[in-house]
Amino acid sequence: MRHRPTAAALVCVLALSAACGTDETTNQTPAASQTTATEPAVPSESAKPEESETPSEEPEPEPEPEGTVIEMTLADGTVTPAGDRVQAETGEPITFVIDADAGGELHVHSTPESFIDFKAGTSEHEIVVDQPGVVEVELHEPALVVVQLEVR
Amino acid sequence: MLSLTGRLPDPAGDRSVLAHGIGGARDLPISPELAIAGAVAALIVSFTVLTLAWRSPRYDAATTGRPAPRALAAAVDAPAFAVVLRVVGMALFLFTAWTAVFGEDLLINPFFGMFYVLLWVGIVPASLLFGPVWRAISPVRTLNRLLGLVTGSDPGQGLLTYPVRLGYWPAAIGLFAFVWLELVFPQSTELGPVRLWCAAYVAVMLVGGALFGDDFYEHADPFEVYSTLVGKLSAWGRRDGVLVVRSPLANLDTVVARPGLVAVVAVLFGSTAYDSFQDSSVWLRFTQAHLDQARLLDNVALLTFCVGVGAIFAVGCATSGVEASQCRWALPDLFAHSVVPIIVGYIVAHYLSYFVEVGQQTLILMSDPMSQGSNLLGTADLEVNYWLSYHPTFLATSKVVAVVLGHVLGVVAAHDRALRLLPRQHQMTGQLPLLVAMVAFTVGGLYLLFAS
Repeated sequence: MRHRPTAAALVCVLALSAACGTDETTNQTPAASQTTATEPAVPSESAKPEESETPSEEPEPEPEPEGTVIEMTLADGTVTPAGDRVQAETGEPITFVIDADAGGELHVHSTPESFIDFKAGTSEHEIVVDQPGVVEVELHEPALVVVQLEVR
Repeated sequence: MLSLTGRLPDPAGDRSVLAHGIGGARDLPISPELAIAGAVAALIVSFTVLTLAWRSPRYDAATTGRPAPRALAAAVDAPAFAVVLRVVGMALFLFTAWTAVFGEDLLINPFFGMFYVLLWVGIVPASLLFGPVWRAISPVRTLNRLLGLVTGSDPGQGLLTYPVRLGYWPAAIGLFAFVWLELVFPQSTELGPVRLWCAAYVAVMLVGGALFGDDFYEHADPFEVYSTLVGKLSAWGRRDGVLVVRSPLANLDTVVARPGLVAVVAVLFGSTAYDSFQDSSVWLRFTQAHLDQARLLDNVALLTFCVGVGAIFAVGCATSGVEASQCRWALPDLFAHSVVPIIVGYIVAHYLSYFVEVGQQTLILMSDPMSQGSNLLGTADLEVNYWLSYHPTFLATSKVVAVVLGHVLGVVAAHDRALRLLPRQHQMTGQLPLLVAMVAFTVGGLYLLFAS
């Protein structure tokens, strides 16, 4: 599909993201949020303004992930898991531990939808889904469904 | 059911942002307890109807129904009413064509929602409430009338007589073409291909109308056949041209069996079942493990579901006890009307939250048909109410109730028809194979709601 910018949606989303103070690498939506952590080279501008400005110091140690943890590997265009059902709970964190040989993007078909951008290497990303339902998490390029989250 | 979700490139950078809020989330599977309860209810009802229900046929198109209140009948029969409906249909058609031709190729273009949700899904509740709606608003019928006015010919009559043995087969093919576009075709949410499909539909309808007149629309327009069939479950009917109020079951009995009716119901039920099935983790893992053949597998599966439903039903009908003089293979079309409530029950279960939620989203998007941020209808600032999705237990229970209710109506309709068609000594046992087929549909549908 051709992508063309359109005014209204963009203005809304841009205004929203500006208001939320999201950084350049995350998308924030009311129902799903995402954090990128444990990536060795976190760009300094992604640190949130309200955090203490000590870019040399690592952020607080990543706590043991609670809720649902999904370990995903992407190698040579092959992804595992590839379409498994995973149980999750509304409002609880769902953590993706991604080990990838190339950067990419996960499309979370929740309502509203959200995205996870990941880089090559190991990274951890957390989303929260508030609306119950079956949510497909799909990799773009190659277009493959990684998991179907059964969020109750 | 399509996930009408899309995104836009961010002009400020190469990152993508959300285009809009149409949800990609689907309903949770129903619980095993609910699925089993529904299946048991369907079984019990089936055999209760078989053993305890009436023993002589009740429904007769020539006698059933009470005349509608005089004022209502006068209003509905007034020529102005028909004109108003045609104008409404034509306005919706022109609006849709405008978005299709001049709109952006984006999922915030309301075209997709109007075509896949308001038309394809909305046709069911509209017909259930008001009867054969599409026939009254059909833009292709209106265009054919207008062409007739221009050329001075009678638009109702074509150049040729519609061949009786074609029956509903063209509609079955048209319906299959639609579900193929929706469920299998990879570019089903890209403007160009969907617009092409619609253009082909209009072209075929206009040529067919010119050749065969209004008979063509009654038999070959997929949306009209679908709408009229579902409309038989409404309370509205006609007897000798007079508007009557009937029980939905008596109304259903007035479906005229024509060749291809089984194919129509098989495509409608089979494709909806396939839609559930393709979302299951089992099928997803299988097709993703055979990526090079995924398209072929999807095509084969859709066809298998449709043909499978038709075959199970045809065999169920044809293996009932008949007299030597009766033709077994004429029975499937004569019983096919009884699958309509099962289809409607399953469609409700399958599409309820989708229709309510994506339907609202479409009404919001219709205010901005050219994706310029306009608010033509004043709906642009409304928000979708996701109450149904936030009440999954209520939703799941409604779905199972709809499926079981549809099954009950279907079994009763088949029972009454069996009393009329089958020889007396086979009236009980003769219904068994058909009953097994119907229980298979209902239990299969519940299984898919549970497993996908």
